Amino acid sequence: MTRDLILMGVLGAPHGVRGEMRLKSFTEEPLAIADYGVLSDEPGQRQFTILSARLVKDDMLVVRLEGVSDRDKAAALTNTRLYATRDQLPPVEEDDEFYQADLVGLAVEAENGEPIGTVLAVLDFGAGDILEVQPASGGRPIMLPFTKAVIPTVDLAAGRLVAVPPVETSGEEEPPEEAV
Amino acid sequence: MTRSVWKGPFVDGYLLKKADAARASTRSEVIKIWSRRSTILPQFVGLTFGVYNGQKHIPVAVSEEMVGHKFGEFAPTRTFYGHAADKKAKRR
Repeated sequence: MTRDLILMGVLGAPHGVRGEMRLKSFTEEPLAIADYGVLSDEPGQRQFTILSARLVKDDMLVVRLEGVSDRDKAAALTNTRLYATRDQLPPVEEDDEFYQADLVGLAVEAENGEPIGTVLAVLDFGAGDILEVQPASGGRPIMLPFTKAVIPTVDLAAGRLVAVPPVETSGEEEPPEEAV
Repeated sequence: MTRSVWKGPFVDGYLLKKADAARASTRSEVIKIWSRRSTILPQFVGLTFGVYNGQKHIPVAVSEEMVGHKFGEFAPTRTFYGHAADKKAKRR
């Protein structure tokens, strides 16, 4: 997959006999997937336009696609992944806001230019965004809070972040035995 | 007065000392803790704790809305990555 393609959802089983089918949406607002216009499959050979969409549960939708008018055509598309190009995403509105898709894969460097690693994922557990970074030296991924203090520079054009990893201090005199 | 009110929020004692020390320090610091059961107090706001999830320490930057919750709520023990799609990340 090229970096420009962004996975937006996966088509599921047919729903009824009139060509409707289920769609698992990965967008922030599940129904927003219908607003991105023409989506494509991974090789880019097939184009899909969502004519109508309704929410079934959580991130699961029932959609009607252009050119899919019966159950057999819908069944043939089951498990097809739908991609948008990066250009289809609107520009971010606020400063210091970034698409997660833009951050994943960026090189992480120290202030002196020394490589630290590569961004594996952007996580949010309710306490601010966290960058999971695969160290350049190997080993287990490290977690960096996505704050201005720790990540002072984000240079998307150059494909790199500058990080000042925080000092880790132990909050306990000694970790509990079961945690070691 | 209910029992839970007069007893007050539970916090492991050493966290208070470490939080005081971290506030006095000017450098960017992550306080590694194993105490998922401790309540987040107002004096923790602005600090970053590394909360143990059984495998690693998850950075938890404490904000005002988190006061009253437990540290463990912000460091899940099972990680679901999902897909980025059009989701955004905000640098605070």
